[in-house]
Amino acid sequence: MEILVCIKQVPDDAAEIRLKADGTPDLDGVAQVVNAFDTYALEMATRLKEAVGGEITVISVGGESARDALKTCLAVGAQHAFLLTDPAFEGSDSLGKARILATAKAKLEEKSGKPFDLIFCGLEATDKATGQTGAQLAELLNLPLITNLTDISYENGTVTAKQETDFGYNLIDSAAPCVVTVNTPAYAPRYPTIKSKLAAKKMPIDPISLADLGEDAGKVGKQAALTRTVRFAEPPQKVAGVKIKEETCEDSARRAVAMMVEAKAL
Amino acid sequence: MAYIISEEGQELLGAVKEFCEKEVKEQCKEYDKTGEWPKEIYDKAIEMQLHMLEVPEEYGGMGLDRVSVAALIEQMAIADSGFATTISASGLGMKPVLIGGTEEQKQRACDLIVDGGFAAFCLTEPGAGSDASAGKTTAVRDGDSYILNGRKCFITNGAVSSFYCVTAMTDKSAGTKGISMFYIEKDTPGLSTGHEEDKMGIRTSNTCDVVLEDCRIPASNLIGAEGQGFSIAMKTLDQARAWMGCIATGIAQRGMEEAIAYGKERIQFGKPVLKNQALQFKIADMAIKIETARQMVAHALTLMDLGLPYSKESAIAKCYASDIAMEVASEAIQMFGGYGYSREYPVEKLLRDAKIFQIFEGTNEIQRIVVANNTIGRF
Repeated sequence: MEILVCIKQVPDDAAEIRLKADGTPDLDGVAQVVNAFDTYALEMATRLKEAVGGEITVISVGGESARDALKTCLAVGAQHAFLLTDPAFEGSDSLGKARILATAKAKLEEKSGKPFDLIFCGLEATDKATGQTGAQLAELLNLPLITNLTDISYENGTVTAKQETDFGYNLIDSAAPCVVTVNTPAYAPRYPTIKSKLAAKKMPIDPISLADLGEDAGKVGKQAALTRTVRFAEPPQKVAGVKIKEETCEDSARRAVAMMVEAKAL
Repeated sequence: MAYIISEEGQELLGAVKEFCEKEVKEQCKEYDKTGEWPKEIYDKAIEMQLHMLEVPEEYGGMGLDRVSVAALIEQMAIADSGFATTISASGLGMKPVLIGGTEEQKQRACDLIVDGGFAAFCLTEPGAGSDASAGKTTAVRDGDSYILNGRKCFITNGAVSSFYCVTAMTDKSAGTKGISMFYIEKDTPGLSTGHEEDKMGIRTSNTCDVVLEDCRIPASNLIGAEGQGFSIAMKTLDQARAWMGCIATGIAQRGMEEAIAYGKERIQFGKPVLKNQALQFKIADMAIKIETARQMVAHALTLMDLGLPYSKESAIAKCYASDIAMEVASEAIQMFGGYGYSREYPVEKLLRDAKIFQIFEGTNEIQRIVVANNTIGRF
């Protein structure tokens, strides 16, 4: 089975990020990591590969620093990695990135002669959290899409996915190839072993440019973006909660309900 | 400043740090209370291959330079020094084979480690601590076998090892020249583990008696020749000491980090207590000591990598790093004030953990004898 996993390098979501004077996020000194949902996608893909055999290719749209993110993926399950990098890609919105990924998928298939059976994406990226790229990629590739997965299996050309919902989960069958977006599964992504980490360091990560893709420069980058960020806002500071300490439990409950009515929550 | 390490080492350091932060640091607080050996943490560490950093490349290891390994071990020690001790003591247990063993013995021992095992070094006995020649364990040749009898105590990894390197007297009349070294695998009839120590610190590391009762092993399990055991044991300890210095440095580093974090947050007289120069100087003294200890460890390990003599430097590294680990841990508690004395805060554990590093693998008094002998020479 040939699996493609699309990943994004994002600022470490455990770090506290403040805005600079110009209103953009201050990312100086913030570690760059693989988007958490993409690490789940890669782990799910790796487990599937271990179950049914095959190979995993990871791709990412980004600058030179994204090479580190790809290297991390090579240490925990991926066999091949390509960096989609070109000044013309900068400023792409999610649709622009989906277009780059879609074209790259076709190019990689053309080069290897092996079509991808499954394309994994994280549910969303932890930086901008638009959650659109996976769906847009499926649309551009004209492939079925299953979102919000927490598990997956594959038998006789059919993908069976466990899709999380607000009420439980759906089991969805789809013919391969298809695109899936991954939520948090029941298992944690594996750690690299010392040997896999050392081996990953020596594996090639070839860059792929706009010219390599043969993509139209007018369809990617800032000028082609259909969405734009109007402004960034810091999350509101957490304020101390209200403590209800009435004499009796009944009085406390009454006071809590009164407060909720007052706040129009009830 | 930290260790100056290879690019490979840098790559690994991030991964090991992440592992220790997520899987070791907080979890070990609870195990420190219970004294239980945290098997699930060690299983994860083995899966990540952290237990085989010292296995030579030709026997299936990684081929990392020693200073890079030290950076990783220190990171483990920052999270929990008992955890780092288990890992490092396994390296100690393997060293007699690597120093004096045959190719077959080396490959066999390394295979057991690579497959997820630990090793233990068994020298100390109830009546033979610093004076190893007072050991009462005996090995008697019987045809193609040796039969061992005796009791070893304070054995790190005693109950969790795949194999043991054990010293025993083959000639009681010859003193240290009558000591031999033997390789014994677990589940060998006659080998068992006894009393488990309820220790003051490094409580995530297993320490127990190893008992030999008519334990029959093939004569081919002799490491080196008869009478070479003491020499192999001393070479083993010479090497291992620097690693103990490395772990002690990690304890001190943790103490300093905790002291800085607390000093920035604790407000007294309307400002963080670390705004007081008196406390800043405490941190400066900690940093001076820690950096000096770390570079001494690095120096001893570099000498080993270069194949140069390292006995004196290794002893200095162990002795100095463990002495300053006690000082830094104590000062970290001081900086926490009353909270530092509470088990709810992380620094009292560091003092308990640090103490053993002044004692095991040669007390610091023995280290000073080694340093003095190597400095003064015969006269």
